[in-house]
Amino acid sequence: METTSTLEKSLRFLALSLVVIFFMFPIFWIFLMSFQTNETILQIPPSIVFTPTLSNYAALITGKLTTSAGTLDIAFMRNLGNSVFLSVTSVALSLVLGVPAAYAFARHKFRGSEDIAFTLLSFRFAPPLLVLLPLTQYFQWLGLSDTYVGLIWVYQLICLPLILWIVRGYFEDISADVEYAYRIAGHSWFATFRKIALPLAGPGIAAAGLLAFIFAWNNFVFALVLASADKQPVTVGALAFVTSSGIQYGQIASAIVLSVTPTLALALYAQRYLVEGLSLGAVKG
Amino acid sequence: MLPYVLSLPALLVCIGILIPFVTAVIYSFQRYRLSQPWSRQFNWGENYYNFLFNDPGFWNTLKISLLYAGITVTLELLLGLGIALLLQKRSRVNNFISIMLLLPLMIAPALAALMWKLMTNPGFGILSYLASSIGLHDFRWASSPDTALLTVVLVDIWVYTPFIMILLLAGLRSLPTQPFEAAALDGVPRTFVFFRITLPMLTPYILTATLFRLLDSIQQFDIIYAMTQGGPGNALTVFQVEAYLNFFQSTNVGRSAALMVILWAITYLLSNIFIKNWLRLRERARGEV
Amino acid sequence: MTTLELKNIVKRYKTNTVLDDLSLDVADGETLVLFGPSGAGKTVLLRLVAGVIDPDEGKILIGGEDMTDVDAEHRGIGMAFQNFALFPHMSAHDNIASPLTATRSSAEAIKAGVGKVAKLLKIDHVLSHHPKALSNGQKQRTALARALAGSPPLLLLDDPLRNVDAKLRFEMRLELPRLLASQGATVVYVTQDYKEAMALGDRIAVMANGKIRQIGTPEEIYNAPADIGIASLFGDPTINLLDVVPQKDAEGIYVEISKVRVALPGMPDSVAGQSCVIGIRPESITFAKSTVKGAVPIEVEAETPLNEKTVTLVVTVGKRELLVSRPAGTPGPVSGPAFILIDGKTTFLFDKASGALIRKAGETEQGVAA
Repeated sequence: METTSTLEKSLRFLALSLVVIFFMFPIFWIFLMSFQTNETILQIPPSIVFTPTLSNYAALITGKLTTSAGTLDIAFMRNLGNSVFLSVTSVALSLVLGVPAAYAFARHKFRGSEDIAFTLLSFRFAPPLLVLLPLTQYFQWLGLSDTYVGLIWVYQLICLPLILWIVRGYFEDISADVEYAYRIAGHSWFATFRKIALPLAGPGIAAAGLLAFIFAWNNFVFALVLASADKQPVTVGALAFVTSSGIQYGQIASAIVLSVTPTLALALYAQRYLVEGLSLGAVKG
Repeated sequence: MLPYVLSLPALLVCIGILIPFVTAVIYSFQRYRLSQPWSRQFNWGENYYNFLFNDPGFWNTLKISLLYAGITVTLELLLGLGIALLLQKRSRVNNFISIMLLLPLMIAPALAALMWKLMTNPGFGILSYLASSIGLHDFRWASSPDTALLTVVLVDIWVYTPFIMILLLAGLRSLPTQPFEAAALDGVPRTFVFFRITLPMLTPYILTATLFRLLDSIQQFDIIYAMTQGGPGNALTVFQVEAYLNFFQSTNVGRSAALMVILWAITYLLSNIFIKNWLRLRERARGEV
Repeated sequence: MTTLELKNIVKRYKTNTVLDDLSLDVADGETLVLFGPSGAGKTVLLRLVAGVIDPDEGKILIGGEDMTDVDAEHRGIGMAFQNFALFPHMSAHDNIASPLTATRSSAEAIKAGVGKVAKLLKIDHVLSHHPKALSNGQKQRTALARALAGSPPLLLLDDPLRNVDAKLRFEMRLELPRLLASQGATVVYVTQDYKEAMALGDRIAVMANGKIRQIGTPEEIYNAPADIGIASLFGDPTINLLDVVPQKDAEGIYVEISKVRVALPGMPDSVAGQSCVIGIRPESITFAKSTVKGAVPIEVEAETPLNEKTVTLVVTVGKRELLVSRPAGTPGPVSGPAFILIDGKTTFLFDKASGALIRKAGETEQGVAA
């Protein structure tokens, strides 16, 4: 467009480098820390030259932490398992509930459809503790407190709006004529939904599912309020781990690395859809 | 008939959530302490009245919450816009960097707070070490009331700047090219192009991203709770943290509910403005198909 | 083969009435063309018949049976869409097979059915391709094949030639009548192209603003357009329309063009002195020598070829523009002053205020088509 001077180029380069360092360094540093023993972590000045060790990961995976003071049990793997289970089942339920609703909202402008869709959207923005605090009491009455069922239900608050609004956009993008053509050819609406709408919206549904998984995984406050230790996901578990183990910094770092790896991997895998997901379908990447 | 059947399950989940919402509103009009459940009664909005006239804690919460939201969103917007402009040109390097920069956003905010807690540990934290090496000895980050806000703001910026960046980048890259080509041909100064062409055309994206962030930021809980539990003292008792502590530690359910209702009213107003802008963008994105 | 009857159909979108109390009969085996400008309601009408949208009022009868509340899949209809609406994730074969799979035919029957119709439309060599890999012409033929595959008694074709290039459109226009005849189906065909309408329709229904303005054979509509609007929709180049006030003398009704008397034989005396619009088809005007009786002096402005015709723009003494058309290759003036002869017997006279046809010149009162 215009000629850029060398000075401008170097300034751009400098600015981008600073940006990359600021955003990448913490990940890099914690990653390094997870391969260090407490002794090397506590060294002053800090150094990036050290002999890497897998002892932190070994301790987390075996669930036994041997220190000079004795053996400490770590429930971290259980937290990891909870995260996987809660996120997968929540997203699965959200897809079952949300995809048909998204289809209904995309194809049929029925009375109240927009109201329901916007109410679901507004859940994304309501302060979670507003409903969570009374919900603790309802859960006690219903026998749902500290159960996976209760948590998965509440996790719909995160997953459902996301899936509903992203998948709705994908259904809207399918030409209505294509579906009409299949109906006129003699197929029922359900066959049309299954053979035309679902396959054509497939990539969008998969992307919405992955994003919902990331958001469910990253949630903190729902499980903090509603789950006790043996049902907690990694976000809450890691915090509890910090409080209980105190000074086992290497293990904390490796626990963090294990906790963020799934979401980072999925994000890289689904990066083409991230923009659309983050804006709830308002902006296409 | 059919569309109702399809959306009914989602609708039921809606209703299931609306019930505790109504309950929360009722609680906010009650004198209700978990420690004294026998004296639970309607108190004519006394919780709200107290906020106005004899509850300095409330004003502290309001001040901290607004300050936190104001500072984080302003800085993230400026930084996000700057980075988006740096990465605007489509090139392999720029695309790679923009994907990499998304990673902090994909880390659970609570875990991000723990990462920064490790880095700002007074004993061995790399940031404490860097601070002391530039002469800031005994810089205590989140454990000092003076710098606690700064520290959580920093973490918030680390996590959420990529959000604004990626939305604005998508916006920048979707702008039509003709006005810019015409301006370049006419030799229009670049500052003029930026303020008179780029910014106005980018406004819907900026508004959507800002409102989105503002809605989240005014409710921030994860980062602050994981980092400091609202402390030191009441330095970081933003709405949700204060409500959480009120409920579980002081067991003052009435005040906790009233705090949440006020926060809800704020977010409700904001989200109404937000949804209008968001819908406009959504229609535009769908129209491009 | 079947019949189609629409009775008092009304369709509104919010406050906008798209179809306004519309009734229509299509006979068994007939090809009816719905012709009109975009926004006339043709496509909506077709979709109502197909059953993918519902009318607000009125009844739809197919083969005498009330189908108003019957779902699209049970109406026994084949339909081709303007934008083809092929299933992007299925091969051409599976696209064409979709009406056959719906009836749970055997695999061999499906294969044979697809093969037959594909051969008819000359796409049997691309059956394994997905729509993305098909040319525009092949897509259009696939869409037609899909509509025909189930041998539906009622065929709805929504401007199927709209999105293909001129050459393909010309080919298909020649091919379609034979194809439709071979199916023996009752056909409703939507188009915005008057030549397509004339070439394909047993009858043409001219639509505008949600109403049928005129219905008749192509000849009837060409020779007796019900109003100015319809007259100007048919014919290429379009009909010349001039404001005139007919007068009467001893020899009958006439109008003056370039101060020359042009007789309108057969016009009723009542039009004398009435504000009218005269419609003169460009082919009703010929160039003439100045010596011929009734020759109208004009100035030749420009000349342009149009298909197999040559069209000349001429200006009368009163600065009114007229188009003159003649077979290409025949001689004619290129510029400067010249004379034309207007065949008064083939002109139309419309009422200026209402736009309605008063009468075609040269017709007796009984001879006017309805």
